[in-house]
Amino acid sequence: MHSRFYLSLLLVASVVVIVFMWLATDRELSTEYENYQAEYKDYLVKNAKDEDARKRAARIETGIRQVYIPALKKADRCTSCHIGVENPMMAGVGQPFTTHSGNYLKNHPVAKFGCTICHYGQGRATNKKEAHGGERGVSHWDYPVIPGKYVQSACGRCHDYKMLADEGMETIVLGEKLFREKGCLGCHKVNGTGGDLGKALDGIGSAALHYFSMGHVKGDLTAYNWIKQHFDDPRAIVPTSEMKVTVSEEEAVALTTYIFSMRADEVPSKYKLVKNLPVMDRDGASLFQMYCGGCHGDGQTSIYDEVFGRTIPAITGSGFVNKIDDTTLRIFIEEGRPGTQMTAWKSNAAGLKKEEIDKIIGHTTKNRSGELQQPFNFREFTSDVGKGKALYTQRCAFCHGDDGKGGGRKLGINLKNETVQKMADPEFLAMTVRDGRKDTPMPGFGPDGEGLSEQDIADVVGYVKTFGRK
Amino acid sequence: MNLLKPWALLLALALISLMLPFAAAAQQEELSEEEEEAAWLAQVELGEKYYNVNCRLCHGQKGDGKGHVSVIQYAEKNGRVLKTYPRDFTSGLYRFRSTATGCLPDDVDLKNIIKGGIVTSFMPPQEGISEEDLAAVAEYIKTYSERFEEEDLCDVIVASRPDYVASPKSIDRGKVVYNNMKCWECHGYEGTGDGPKAADIKDDWGNKLLPFNFITGALKRGSTPENIYMTFTAGLDGTGMPSYEDSLDEQSRWDLVSYTLKLMGLTKPEEEKH
Repeated sequence: MHSRFYLSLLLVASVVVIVFMWLATDRELSTEYENYQAEYKDYLVKNAKDEDARKRAARIETGIRQVYIPALKKADRCTSCHIGVENPMMAGVGQPFTTHSGNYLKNHPVAKFGCTICHYGQGRATNKKEAHGGERGVSHWDYPVIPGKYVQSACGRCHDYKMLADEGMETIVLGEKLFREKGCLGCHKVNGTGGDLGKALDGIGSAALHYFSMGHVKGDLTAYNWIKQHFDDPRAIVPTSEMKVTVSEEEAVALTTYIFSMRADEVPSKYKLVKNLPVMDRDGASLFQMYCGGCHGDGQTSIYDEVFGRTIPAITGSGFVNKIDDTTLRIFIEEGRPGTQMTAWKSNAAGLKKEEIDKIIGHTTKNRSGELQQPFNFREFTSDVGKGKALYTQRCAFCHGDDGKGGGRKLGINLKNETVQKMADPEFLAMTVRDGRKDTPMPGFGPDGEGLSEQDIADVVGYVKTFGRK
Repeated sequence: MNLLKPWALLLALALISLMLPFAAAAQQEELSEEEEEAAWLAQVELGEKYYNVNCRLCHGQKGDGKGHVSVIQYAEKNGRVLKTYPRDFTSGLYRFRSTATGCLPDDVDLKNIIKGGIVTSFMPPQEGISEEDLAAVAEYIKTYSERFEEEDLCDVIVASRPDYVASPKSIDRGKVVYNNMKCWECHGYEGTGDGPKAADIKDDWGNKLLPFNFITGALKRGSTPENIYMTFTAGLDGTGMPSYEDSLDEQSRWDLVSYTLKLMGLTKPEEEKH
């Protein structure tokens, strides 16, 4: 009785093992691409126009197909599955057989360009999961296939934007435009030029996956999703982010597309086609937009910003530009405001050339009317710092804080930094206290405003100038 | 007979102490109207002095809210820009009252705001202000509107918080009230201040107003349950926020307080779990 039980158990176990072994062998031997190739062959044979075509189709051999392009260091096996990509007959058949959309392959034949130069992904892989990557299970690939909506980013690597606009590559053209006009360079460096509040963006498009912290990303853990979701809501991805951006869905896609065109690996020059070299000579208005507009907008309004925790002052209104001379304004732009988000824009910091700063000054002061405002003659007064302190505490500390740092739920700007303390002309400060600054909350405290005497103002400015000594 | 003596003494004492207030009142009556007027004028003058140094910058010489600081703009983290208009005292309309809608604020309301400030509006707190100055400024501010002379004062509403506030059941009931009373029309379905009608709201001066965003903001009058209850009960006169004293019973208003606290993230998570 017992021996019979064990015998049947052995029998069942043997069958199970044999079945598993057969399944394993089958799985290893019959591959995804072979099935697709067989299906493709059947389709061609069935839909052949004439006998010749039928014969040609019948002769198609099964096997891995590979495009090897030494110049690009690519060995792409994508056509093993996407076998009909260059065959016009396969239009609209469905993936993976379908013909490539548009007429891109006319100028970018697979044999010369391969696939991954535009679509990324793992060219050497021979099944979909590993070739495309990005999904859970293969989310460790650095460069999974780029989703179709961002694919124009590849065009930006070899072509100029004039040509892309002419060819109707709207997404990346919009992305490049937005990148300039939203003032991204105000905080991010590219090619050594730009602010230092955010990370430099050189090569961001080819940054390895570990560069991105994926803790808050929804969906597949890819760099594409990280960047896109970061545009949607910066603080949902990086809770401490100070990025100021509000974009529509279309704009977020366009900017993401543009971001992934900024790759560290250069395409060989013979693969590039630059018809119209981009004109780098920009006027003051567009330079202002690129480098200042991200925070100051058009510079006409003063806004307390919750992200920065301080006021971003209006800088193009008459209240500012009529008081300040170009020399002082240049100091403010070149040196920035340490202790605030304002970058030092000089060439050895944020990388703006002297001519560019000249143009920005020109644009900033375009509303300057006639001569500068009535001077204060600060040097004729002797400041009583003690009286100045009393006045400051009573009239200024509400907004600028007892320590003069401003910010943190205070409306006033930071007065306790090197730029104001060491470089700003006390004459300019005294004029600002006397006349206030139109377009900002800073009121005039002089005889025409809050009624302080010029001596009072000289005392206050004298006291403000002592902040630097602490 | 001896026993009666202490009683008599006590009775006499009680009578005398009862008479004292009358005596004091009689003494006050002795102050002539002119003297009273002079005292009031002196107080107002003291208030004006304080006002000119500390309040005029924003609220203006005429008290019409058009001081030199003017409108203050505030960009929230989500990019929404709020405009803050300094209070116009000439209309006598005040948001943060503990009196019924349409009523004048109580002196305590004025003093609370003057002393505590309104942090999100950049109205600075006057922490060091003396009681005398505080009363004087409040009195001075009242002189900007005739309403304070013409109208009688209303009763102060007392908010006594029931135990169930912020309890899970109360939060659930409050959510129903929030939906039924269409709070979402302005404040949004998630309380983010972006409801379908949010863009059309104007205050009594014709300035555009944005509804409160419960998710990011701290309430201007302070985020205590009592303050939220007072907002629902007294309304914020001059804004789009009405009083719900007549349309909601007291419990519903407190339930709505619970739900508001939940939206603001001010309820304890363990209370929600049950």
